[in-house]
Amino acid sequence: MEFIIFIALLAIGFFAGSYAEQKHYLEIKQRERKSLHVPLMNFGAKQELPYAHEAQMFVGSVVIANDYFKTFAATLHNLVGGRVVVYESLLDRGRREAVLRMKEEAIAWGASQVVNVRFETSNIGGQETTRTPAMVEVIVYGTGIR
Amino acid sequence: MKYVPKEIKEEVNVTAVHPLVNFGYLLGTVTLAGVILYASLGFIAARLATRIGPETEEKIGNTLIAGLISDPESASDDRIIYLTALAESLTPQDPSLPPLKIHILQPETASEDDLANSENAFAIAGGHIVFTQGLLEAVESENELAFVLAHEMGHLHNRDSLKAMGRSLVFLMLVSVLGQGQSGGARVIPATINVANLSYSRSQESAADRYAIALIVQHYDHGGGSLGFFERMQQQELDLGALNTVTEWQSTHPLTRARISRIKQIAAAQNWKMQGELTPLPEGISCVDFVCED
Ligand SMILES: [Zn+2]
Repeated sequence: MEFIIFIALLAIGFFAGSYAEQKHYLEIKQRERKSLHVPLMNFGAKQELPYAHEAQMFVGSVVIANDYFKTFAATLHNLVGGRVVVYESLLDRGRREAVLRMKEEAIAWGASQVVNVRFETSNIGGQETTRTPAMVEVIVYGTGIR
Repeated sequence: MKYVPKEIKEEVNVTAVHPLVNFGYLLGTVTLAGVILYASLGFIAARLATRIGPETEEKIGNTLIAGLISDPESASDDRIIYLTALAESLTPQDPSLPPLKIHILQPETASEDDLANSENAFAIAGGHIVFTQGLLEAVESENELAFVLAHEMGHLHNRDSLKAMGRSLVFLMLVSVLGQGQSGGARVIPATINVANLSYSRSQESAADRYAIALIVQHYDHGGGSLGFFERMQQQELDLGALNTVTEWQSTHPLTRARISRIKQIAAAQNWKMQGELTPLPEGISCVDFVCED
């Protein structure tokens, strides 16, 4: 019985997880195309910043939950080692979604570009002791100029 | 430099592997490793059971007994002295085996009082033989008590207790020898091994019976009365079915007509007398220090 529940959870995790992921990727790609005209630039400490009338900070953040299938696959990866392929797409989606949220806000404000973009990632839940599936928050911030 | 918007099409940050393919690879690897580990543990355990030295066996035994009896060292009961002397009179201590240590499982000190009340005796690696209070209340002559004792000594002689632990022996040995101490070991054991319910094969039981009847005949000059305990058990088994405490004995020591008759056959083949005078038990065998209160 427990095994059946486990298999069911895995199946739900796999099908629901990959459906959500595919949908998310389609959406991300579409929005990326739309916001392509505003570049993200990083400048070093001694580089001159582009001239701007106005500047404002924009923050984009997103929390992406893991699914049961990914958690289990990652647990197996803990034994075997190697690249945790299932988490790559999770973090990739998180970063791109966060960038998009920041960018879209900046575009709405009228930014011509966003400079000095930084990424932060933090782990929500997913402690070893509680064994809850991991969730990851990605925050992206940068200075929009116009 | 002019910024020319250009869409990046390739996914460099995500490995192009179907998750199910990746999952299949993972599951396959882990399963294969598990199978290899399981097989090699069985192999190692079988080797260990016959090659473990007496000191290591004693350490394992101490770990096991600590999980069963709260403070085995401090137990003082004159009946233990009597039983140890009885064992010594049956056969002198084999120097290649750990010294024999007898324990009596009292309902008050045992971790499971059901077990202490049942009529049971079992051997634990490291030279330990445990009698339950229930058994000492049930025996009627020294001959039958001696047979039970000799049977368990037979299991120790043949290292059946070590063999029966199978794969857990490897972990047990690591725990015992790497010296997490007795308290550390005791916590691990109940989960892995039920010492009172190790199941021995039919041939291991027969070998222990053969060993026992030979010692009994040598000591008493006859085998009479030594099977009395079994015969009464069998009687109850027939009367009450599997619904009483006797089942405890049955699970560790399959008690069938066939077993009793096999022992009698051995005796007949050796021309051993199976009748003779019974040696009485000391007064108060069912009470601590032979002192009964009422
Ligand atoms: Zn036995």
